[in-house]
Amino acid sequence: MTLAPDAVTRPTQPRVTIPELIDEATVEAIAGEAWVALVGEDEVLVPLPGDLPAETVSAWVDVVGPWTGSVVLTTGRQTAADLTRALLGQAAPELLDHEDVADAFGEIANVVGGNVKAALPGPSTLGLPQVGEAPDVRNPEDVCRLEVLWRGQPLVVSVQGALPALPTPHQNPPHPNGASL
Amino acid sequence: MTLTATSFDWVRQLVHRESAIVLAPGKEYLVEARLLPIARSMGLPDVGQLVDSVRTRPSPESTRKIVEALTTNETSWFRDGDPFTALTSTVLPSLLSARGPAERLQIWSAACSSGQEPYTIAMLLEDALPNASTRVAITATDLSREMVECTRAGRFSQLEVNRGLPAPMLVRHFTRAGNEWQVSPSLRRMVTASECNLAAPLPRMGPFDVVYLRNVLIYFDLPTKQAILRRVRALMRPDGWLFLGAAETTLGVDDSWERVVIGRSSAYRPLKGN
Amino acid sequence: MRALVIDDSRAMRRIVSAALEGFGYETRQAGHGQEALDVLQEGYVPDLCTIDWNMPVMDGLQFVSAVRANPAWRALTLMMVTSESEQGQIVRALAAGAHEYVIKPFTADALRDKLALLGMLPEEAVL
Repeated sequence: MTLAPDAVTRPTQPRVTIPELIDEATVEAIAGEAWVALVGEDEVLVPLPGDLPAETVSAWVDVVGPWTGSVVLTTGRQTAADLTRALLGQAAPELLDHEDVADAFGEIANVVGGNVKAALPGPSTLGLPQVGEAPDVRNPEDVCRLEVLWRGQPLVVSVQGALPALPTPHQNPPHPNGASL
Repeated sequence: MTLTATSFDWVRQLVHRESAIVLAPGKEYLVEARLLPIARSMGLPDVGQLVDSVRTRPSPESTRKIVEALTTNETSWFRDGDPFTALTSTVLPSLLSARGPAERLQIWSAACSSGQEPYTIAMLLEDALPNASTRVAITATDLSREMVECTRAGRFSQLEVNRGLPAPMLVRHFTRAGNEWQVSPSLRRMVTASECNLAAPLPRMGPFDVVYLRNVLIYFDLPTKQAILRRVRALMRPDGWLFLGAAETTLGVDDSWERVVIGRSSAYRPLKGN
Repeated sequence: MRALVIDDSRAMRRIVSAALEGFGYETRQAGHGQEALDVLQEGYVPDLCTIDWNMPVMDGLQFVSAVRANPAWRALTLMMVTSESEQGQIVRALAAGAHEYVIKPFTADALRDKLALLGMLPEEAVL
């Protein structure tokens, strides 16, 4: 489709999507620092994709500001439990319950999310961590997705917008005087 | 795994001797991961060969690289804070009264690493002097080109700014740049960074009013320590001040210095007539 | 020395407490600002509070303001330990009366460096 040369952009402000604000390398650096500092000094994230198992768990925080969305960590249930043990170190209980995993994985999402938020235009507010099934991707264009391996297990960090995609421009050229519907 | 038990033990002993840090058994993996880049940069295929090479031909440069790779995750700001307290409490007032108002104070950070030391000095001076950017010049040097480039860039990671940089100074002198922090343009203008090997004849620099030469001498043998101190002294003003690392001293190495106690730290000043 | 570790994450409370205990602190924990105020009002007044920002019931910034509003708690050192790391947020916390600010993620060394700056490191842990 080509717009007529005199086509006027819709006066509604263009919504900025996340790939314009942050790149995968920045998200990788943020997650990498979180792992080295919190999980262990030789715990590296290898930026390679892997197949998530059937049983996954997600932890995320919401960011509300000039850009609004969620920073979501998703991994296999067993990997989330391993991560919890690594985070707690000596203080880990012999048997982890669901609460322990939700708390620790949620806190990692909070740490990654807080730093992603600070790398975006602000000011923004950060929600409390939530754990469960990841929020849906509302707009495939508004996602920055990083796939990594930790101790060989896949983990995904997804920075995803909370708003649906803007409607695609009409097939018909806009009204000559620029008025929109 | 290319590291034999003997090699790992040699690395453990080296690190313990130079830094008093103990590498526990089971840290072979860490040694491999941290030393592999050094091996590669020296054209060696693996860490085992790196250790063999340094054992048969010891060099302070390689030793320092190995120890630093295994001990310093991030350099601290205000590392051993006392030499910085001494700068603002004693050294700066004394220099300001001894020098003319148009004379520029010259400070040398002689092993600047990724830049924490020269920028710590720059922040202190900017907070202490209304015209710091024209009154002071800071020369930052390091053996490693990579470290010199880090210093020039003046960008620090979240983990780096967490290490001992007071929060009020962070927000006053830095701005967020993505997931890093960028030092302010005025501080960057005060600091000039270049490569410099202290164990070789020094380039024309200075004369310096203050020299920070910390945690470098420990890596060298006695004759080299003496040569370094002699060369550094030749680049200093007669009433200048030298700061060494907390575990270092000129005593028993080079007797042409006078030790001055300032608060909880010591400075060394060139003895007259030497 | 005594510390009150305030964070809504149990894991993070354990991590911060373990680090502080390693430096020679005796610690207590609270899951949000109101719970921490209750601890103070009971009469447990520590030397140091480490404070997360985002917590349910009462957040860290509100807690800092509440502590600063009470002259009886003037000697308390307040250190934010949070993933909130926008420059403006750090400025706000300092303006409200926090003495230091540690950004998550942090290492135990980073906590120790900040405590050293504040002169809050028990003597035997220096170096």
